[in-house]
Amino acid sequence: MQVFNRFKSTCITLVNDFKWFYTLVPMNDDFSISYLLISNEWLTRYLNDFSLIKPLIDKGQIVKVYVLRQTYNQAKEKRNLLFEEEKKRQRTAVGRIEKIEVKYQSPVEEVTLIMNKCISTPMDCAKHISEGVSKVSAIAMVDGSPWDMNRPLSSNCELKLLNLLSPENKVVNTAFWRTCSFILGAVVDTAFKEDVTVHLHSFPVPVIKSGSFIYDVYLDLDDWKPTDQEMRALSAQYVKLINKELPIERIEISERLALDMFQDNPIKMTQIPDIAKIGDYIDISKGPMVGNSSLIGRCTIAAVHKIPEKESLYRFQGVALPKGIILNQYAYGLLENRARKFNNTTWSVFSEENNEVEDVKVFGRN
Amino acid sequence: MNQAKIEKLVSRLRYNVGSKPRKLKNVDGPEGRLRKIKKTLTAVIKYERIELNYARADETRGYVERLISEALRHGPEHGETMELANFWIKEKQLVHKLFKVLVPRYQNYTTSFTKLHNAPCIYPGYAYKRAILELKGNIYPTVEQSNPHQHNLLHNILLDAARKEYRMEKYKEIAANMNF
Repeated sequence: MQVFNRFKSTCITLVNDFKWFYTLVPMNDDFSISYLLISNEWLTRYLNDFSLIKPLIDKGQIVKVYVLRQTYNQAKEKRNLLFEEEKKRQRTAVGRIEKIEVKYQSPVEEVTLIMNKCISTPMDCAKHISEGVSKVSAIAMVDGSPWDMNRPLSSNCELKLLNLLSPENKVVNTAFWRTCSFILGAVVDTAFKEDVTVHLHSFPVPVIKSGSFIYDVYLDLDDWKPTDQEMRALSAQYVKLINKELPIERIEISERLALDMFQDNPIKMTQIPDIAKIGDYIDISKGPMVGNSSLIGRCTIAAVHKIPEKESLYRFQGVALPKGIILNQYAYGLLENRARKFNNTTWSVFSEENNEVEDVKVFGRN
Repeated sequence: MNQAKIEKLVSRLRYNVGSKPRKLKNVDGPEGRLRKIKKTLTAVIKYERIELNYARADETRGYVERLISEALRHGPEHGETMELANFWIKEKQLVHKLFKVLVPRYQNYTTSFTKLHNAPCIYPGYAYKRAILELKGNIYPTVEQSNPHQHNLLHNILLDAARKEYRMEKYKEIAANMNF
């Protein structure tokens, strides 16, 4: 049991059962559980002074430490609730179901699919075509413009499905890189223990040639230099998340609702409309993303750098490859080393992308 | 040192002949081995691309290379070469093909004349590895499928950018160390 590890390890879990109390749960040998409820200050004392807890651990009395993070979870739950409600509202707003014709040009023949207007997504079309296509398709091209796999089709159109192993269009790579940033945000959001305040800042426009995808995060830490182990723990969390094979959902919402959703985050509040979300995590995005987290293969969170001239703003950097691309360890090592260097791609330089459409992505909770 | 140079006696092949000949097991023994190779060699010259078991394809490949290179070196007027061609090629008209079609085709080649690809073992299939043996410069579409969007693959973009950055650093280093 490592209480002083900066990250929540498996032994420290969030519980929602008790409000505003931190709870220590000593577990006896005979599995009869006794609770020890203590106040905030006491817990802080316990956690800050390991010697107070250590005798209990040595005696085997404390097996698990549950720490409550009530306020944070509430905000997250509320955000998810709002998202679900909005999704439901948009679904019911469709009203009477109309049919549309979707023309799909496969390598062999042209297929015409009859789909539901404003309900069917390119992913649904892909499922009709074949399981293989639905698994590898990363992004759709609808009448020549990029379209999320999980965004409902609105009219008759010509559909083309792009995958990452034969990228006809660079859009698919950009979307992949953006998704990597987005997921990085989700990982950072949940990785830290309660004593560290985490406010996600933003992820800049993806620039693949810079060698790393990034996420800027406000951390309540002075001059934090992560150790090698901590970086590995972060990478492991990242891999765990993508292995859940979560679909990335997307809805368009009004600015007012977006403000409502991101009430807890003072930084995101000022960025609206510049927002994004994962697991049960929501975030704002400026462009399309790939349809599923399973499309990401090998990945590393390479470095955390403090952004100079900005207080407590840290830049998380990583590198990832699509699933199915096999690269030898040496070449991947080169990419990792490059990703460790500070990536000075800035937000302001690339912010001329259109801000009109506000896309909120949700990683579904399955 | 009156020994003849080995490369003057035998053609230098652009193909690595295996250290041990394969036995190509059969009831007739070594004679049957020759029969099998003759058959496959004739088929390769006739059809220019065939699919067969890997061992037999690889074994025959050396014989095809050697025969073509002999024909290239000596031409049809050379008695021994003609005898060799008549021995290995079972159909008379293919001897004409060897000297009239293949020899001009491979006149300026700097690589081997044949190509061997691994072929898939179609389920349920047998235990033997399959292969495709072909003569280069044939009229068929290529066996290898190259990805037309290779330069767009994510790892290629990343490696390309990494290489450029490395070169830029090197240039800067060279410029800094320059003495005029």
